Amino acid sequence: MSDQSVAYLKDHIKGQLVEAVLIDGVSSDDVERAEAAWQPFLVQELDKHRRTGNPEIRQLEHSHWDWRKKHRATEGLIAYRMFGVECDGEVQGLMLVSTAGHPCRIDDQKGKEQVYVDFVATAPWNSPMLVEAPRYGLVGRVLIATAVQLSLAEGFRGRIGLHALPQAETFYAQKCGMTDLGKDIKKQGLRYFEMTPVQAAGFLQ
Amino acid sequence: MKFTFDKEWLQRHADSDQNLEIAAGSFSLDQLPPAMGELAASPQPGAFGRLINLSRRKRGWTIEDLVASARIDAGEAIRIEHDSSYIPGPRTVYQLSTALDLPRERMLQLSGNMLLRDRRLGEQAVKFAARSESVEKLSRQEHQALEEFVKYLNESR
Repeated sequence: MSDQSVAYLKDHIKGQLVEAVLIDGVSSDDVERAEAAWQPFLVQELDKHRRTGNPEIRQLEHSHWDWRKKHRATEGLIAYRMFGVECDGEVQGLMLVSTAGHPCRIDDQKGKEQVYVDFVATAPWNSPMLVEAPRYGLVGRVLIATAVQLSLAEGFRGRIGLHALPQAETFYAQKCGMTDLGKDIKKQGLRYFEMTPVQAAGFLQ
Repeated sequence: MKFTFDKEWLQRHADSDQNLEIAAGSFSLDQLPPAMGELAASPQPGAFGRLINLSRRKRGWTIEDLVASARIDAGEAIRIEHDSSYIPGPRTVYQLSTALDLPRERMLQLSGNMLLRDRRLGEQAVKFAARSESVEKLSRQEHQALEEFVKYLNESR
């Protein structure tokens, strides 16, 4: 069963915040709708860059992610929650989190429970790595704020963790204020980030 | 569960968050069958390291320049160029691909991070590794080998 909350995104065309919906408990129909819109757009944009021989060809590091598979694999599992942000009738971002099995690694929080962000991504038309003029901004901030609020509700005091793709390291280190714990050789060498309770409070301020 | 998002808080961060990617999770390696484990075999041990070495030198970069541009560890950069048995992780390969403007998926295959689906890439990698002997300055032969191999990588993606 899904629940909806009011959120806001930055509409870059209008230059102002617009109302959006945060979906807690994304359905298979929502995921299907997202993939049906995301994949054709992604393919079209990548083809466009290749055809024009753009020397700075833009690629998304998560271009092959299939959210349908992720949804099917975790549907009904109590430790997993999938969230979506919807605006203008389209899914603008998706996030899969787990509330068990990923204890904190940072020294002063070691072993404590946290919300682990298994996957998070914005719709391709919102990605600055793919398009010159992204449509909506703040998708990442809304979704990470969701993970932090979930952590607070679970009694984890705002602790969250994730493995950032290289293109997104700046967002988590500088904009979210998370601690960079370095490369994780067990996770494709991706850098692992954690947010402490103090950092969570700072992020939400 | 109900969530709350302060509009003023979002407004304050709208500009500074702009132009930043947010993806977290893992790389797109769906092509790698689970039975193969984390890594597939490199089509030609040494070819990936030679490609990095020549591409770096073609730009006139030192190892330090490469490390700074690709945001990778210096020790790992040295191992990649000098240890033909070393298989770098996907993050490192992605970073090197971006820094040296080389096709990412082919680099993942060449480095042994993704299954080789193209037999010709294996043949071309062998040919490239054999032709590109190490000398300090990029020789004409090395330059030609590099140009031809990069052209092949770009054409076949």
